[in-house]
Amino acid sequence: MLRKMLRDMARHKTQFVSIFLMAFLAIFIYTGVGGEWRGLQKSVDDFYAETNLADAFLYGNGFSDGQVQAVKDTPGVSVVERRLELSAVGDLENKPILTLYFVENGEISKPFLAEGVAFDKNNTDGIWLDKRFANAQGLKPGDTVGFVANDTRLEKTVRGLIYSAEQVFESGSDTLTPNFADYGYAFLSAGAFPVPEMLTYTTLLIKADDRMDTGRWASSESGADLESRINSESRDDLESRLDAALNGTYNVYLERENLPSVSMFNNEIQQHKMMGDIFPVVFLLIALLTLVTTMTRIVTNQRIQIGTLKALGFKKWVIARHYVAYGFFLAALGAVLGLIIGPITLPYLFYPSMSGFYTLPEWKPAYDVSFVLMAIVLIVLCAAVNWLACANLLRETPADTLRPKAPKSFRHGLLERTSIWDKLGFNVQWNLRDSSKNRIRALMAIIGVFGCTALVVCALSMNDAMGDLKVWQYETINHYESKLALGEATTQEQIDDIVTQVDGETIMEGTVEIRAGSNKKSASLLVLDNTTLIRPTDVNLQPFDLPQDGVFITQKMATALDVKQSDEIEWHIYGVEGWTKGQIAAIYRDPVNQGITMNRAQFEAYGMEFYPTAILTAKNVTESKAGVDSITLTADSMAGWDDLTEAMYIMVYLLIAAAAVLSVVVLYNLGLLAFTEMEREMATLKVMGLKSGKLRGLLLTQNLWFSTLGFAFGVPGGIWLTNIIVSLSGDEFDFPIWLHPLTLLAAFVFTFGLSVLVNLLFSRKIRRLDMVESLKVME
Amino acid sequence: MSVSIIIHFTHVTREYDAGTHVLKAVDDATFSIKDGEFVVILGPSGAGKSTLLNLLGGMDSATSGSIMVDGKNIVGLSDDTLTEYRAAYVGFVFQFYNLIPTLTALENIALTKQIVKDPIDARKALGLVGLADHANQFPARLSGGEQQRVSIARAVAKNPVMLLCDEPTGALDSQTGIMVLELLQTMNRKHGKTLVIVTHNTALAEAADKVIHMKNGKICDVTQNPTPKALSEVNW
Repeated sequence: MLRKMLRDMARHKTQFVSIFLMAFLAIFIYTGVGGEWRGLQKSVDDFYAETNLADAFLYGNGFSDGQVQAVKDTPGVSVVERRLELSAVGDLENKPILTLYFVENGEISKPFLAEGVAFDKNNTDGIWLDKRFANAQGLKPGDTVGFVANDTRLEKTVRGLIYSAEQVFESGSDTLTPNFADYGYAFLSAGAFPVPEMLTYTTLLIKADDRMDTGRWASSESGADLESRINSESRDDLESRLDAALNGTYNVYLERENLPSVSMFNNEIQQHKMMGDIFPVVFLLIALLTLVTTMTRIVTNQRIQIGTLKALGFKKWVIARHYVAYGFFLAALGAVLGLIIGPITLPYLFYPSMSGFYTLPEWKPAYDVSFVLMAIVLIVLCAAVNWLACANLLRETPADTLRPKAPKSFRHGLLERTSIWDKLGFNVQWNLRDSSKNRIRALMAIIGVFGCTALVVCALSMNDAMGDLKVWQYETINHYESKLALGEATTQEQIDDIVTQVDGETIMEGTVEIRAGSNKKSASLLVLDNTTLIRPTDVNLQPFDLPQDGVFITQKMATALDVKQSDEIEWHIYGVEGWTKGQIAAIYRDPVNQGITMNRAQFEAYGMEFYPTAILTAKNVTESKAGVDSITLTADSMAGWDDLTEAMYIMVYLLIAAAAVLSVVVLYNLGLLAFTEMEREMATLKVMGLKSGKLRGLLLTQNLWFSTLGFAFGVPGGIWLTNIIVSLSGDEFDFPIWLHPLTLLAAFVFTFGLSVLVNLLFSRKIRRLDMVESLKVME
Repeated sequence: MSVSIIIHFTHVTREYDAGTHVLKAVDDATFSIKDGEFVVILGPSGAGKSTLLNLLGGMDSATSGSIMVDGKNIVGLSDDTLTEYRAAYVGFVFQFYNLIPTLTALENIALTKQIVKDPIDARKALGLVGLADHANQFPARLSGGEQQRVSIARAVAKNPVMLLCDEPTGALDSQTGIMVLELLQTMNRKHGKTLVIVTHNTALAEAADKVIHMKNGKICDVTQNPTPKALSEVNW
């Protein structure tokens, strides 16, 4: 029996190879991508745990000992620690920006040591430097670095190179892709602050009670689960208790999950998780489909053999075991191979490009029981499906099985009763009948093409979206060439001076918290001062003129807050106490900043002080000026954008390749199945004198029908898929997705091209169709 | 009726590569068939009867020799030319009918419209075989004899020169078988179709104009029957 199985497999090798491949790919990708994101999750969780990352952050203008005690006494709080966050400019060639953390105790949000000696809070002349910054600058432990903060120059010796769990994603730089030489952070002892009596702690790091810890910050959970678990009620709980304890004398309350680095990385993991969940299912479905079609064919063809075996006295389960073994062994082989190879290869394909954006002390895949479970599920499913394919036959009596299968009885459909039917022509009639006779086959073909189209549309529209976004951001909205970020200490004279020099315009940017009803969001603030170099765009992405008065809010933020035009919202600027109320005068869209915009006059009318944070100019400014912290050139940003899209292309190619594999395998298998089922009929037609071309036409027509249907459903499917992926890209981004006609055409050409290509594979079979063999009296 | 020779086999051989040796399914066959003749090919299993019929029908290609049909040699023709030949000259009737299961009786016959320019009307052809009232039934609903009659109607509808039948009664009971054979004979006698039937039923020989006996791929005897009996008189 084993020999029979091997011979049967050799005869249907295309199908069996594809079953094996699909089973392999399903598990390979599931465990590979699963190992990858689980590895990220584990590494980052370990990182958070090891560095004792704060559960919540309070930002203010200076926390006194009394306030610390008040927070400590708040129910739910276990440990509190203070630090001062200060921006400094490094005494290095490219004037990098350094965020300095002057740390009180170094117990919460500790630095993770990579090189050198461990952080010591009593060491006042040492600095522990961001390792990636240090590497990019060629700094080593023992080197001395100088930097200027608040007009004071400091010089410290590098004691160690470290990682911070708050900086897995370094949000400090202005460009989309981090440039580690331009931006960094460093830990110092509070004692290292030059004028101790001037030291004001700006940040409170809070560790929550263990009791709450297990309930709310259990780190083994993935981000999404966690986020859904933290309902606004419990969040308000701690926040309102702290608010009461501090009498509102702080600016911002932030929980760990809302820390940009944490939420960015969580989103990233979610994206990978989704990819790792969707693709294996697709491959699994193909494997099952191929298995069903192939096994049905083999079993049907071997009807008489099975009957003979039964008549000879083979027990049913022996025969069943024989046939189930076909799928079982292949699925098992593929699954085990995938299980072994997946986690040790795929993660290392992702990690190098990931480490360009994120910083983790360790990049290592993690294993999970679900890998084995998934493999078992796949094997069991394959065996079950396999069994179903031959179960009917085994239930029959040997005598029935030995008789050739009775032709399927067929009834007239609804359409055939109408007069249209006769006008349809032979080709159409044939195919309508054939596809309604083989509904499952038809459905599978449509689903196959649907999947292919959806993937292609998704890949191409994501590709388009990246291009659209670039045009939108750098051509439609931004018309400046350089953006000069101003230092906190820059004087009005300096600003006026620069504005004249570069023919610039000032803007004020900041971060605000917005409140509308019970919804609360952290958002960006932009105040325009007769700015012409920024042209806001309306909901249709067309530039438009904002009204003079009122507050303007981005569409995405409006949706998140559930507000519309002329609704009232409240906001407060981080770092400034008190809430301001305003009415929404316009809704606009922005690709990378979600929040509110208003004009300077209105801003000041609300009682706020306008202080410029940046100067925009249409000139290309390259030399640094007094009072300017950093200069961002639009050309550089665009180059950075291109780098980012580079990574995207890999994903696009992967999707397209997957789509091609999917459709070719599905269509070829179904075509083969259809062809085998129709072989006798085809041969009859050929004997009667129907030319090969016409026979090909029959198959092609059916193929094209299914392709058309699959395509029609696939396009919205693809858009839906793209929207899901885009929605995971983070709250800050607004990706408008729409299908370019050319993209649609490309997807159409791709899908139908493959469909016709598969059909061509069959035309050879038709020409070679051996009429004598096909019509031979059944054995 | 003319008595011209329409089919002429000259030293026709069909070899198959059977791995270790070459199998001659048809070995040096030479014979001729006149227009409108009723020919029966007789012989035991494996004698090469079906191969001979397939060669004549253009379903298979001879290894050597020539097969002249209506003045043209069909040996070595291309696939497409052979298809055209089958469409114009040959009506096939198989042992297992080979009707298209997804097409009704009438539609199975109407298929001929796809093949030849001017076929006999499908309804008329169905009438000829006495199944006018089964037009809209699918093959699965018809009995074996009825299916075979539909398949004859399909073969005739193309208005071919010859009807080639491979064991046309092989799957039928004798009563139904005789009915089918009578129908075929009518096509031959009344409508002038050259009729070639492959069978191992020797009784049928009494009704034929010419009998070709085969054994081991060779033609061992060709007998002309001066007084063919009517089928009803044949002693089955």
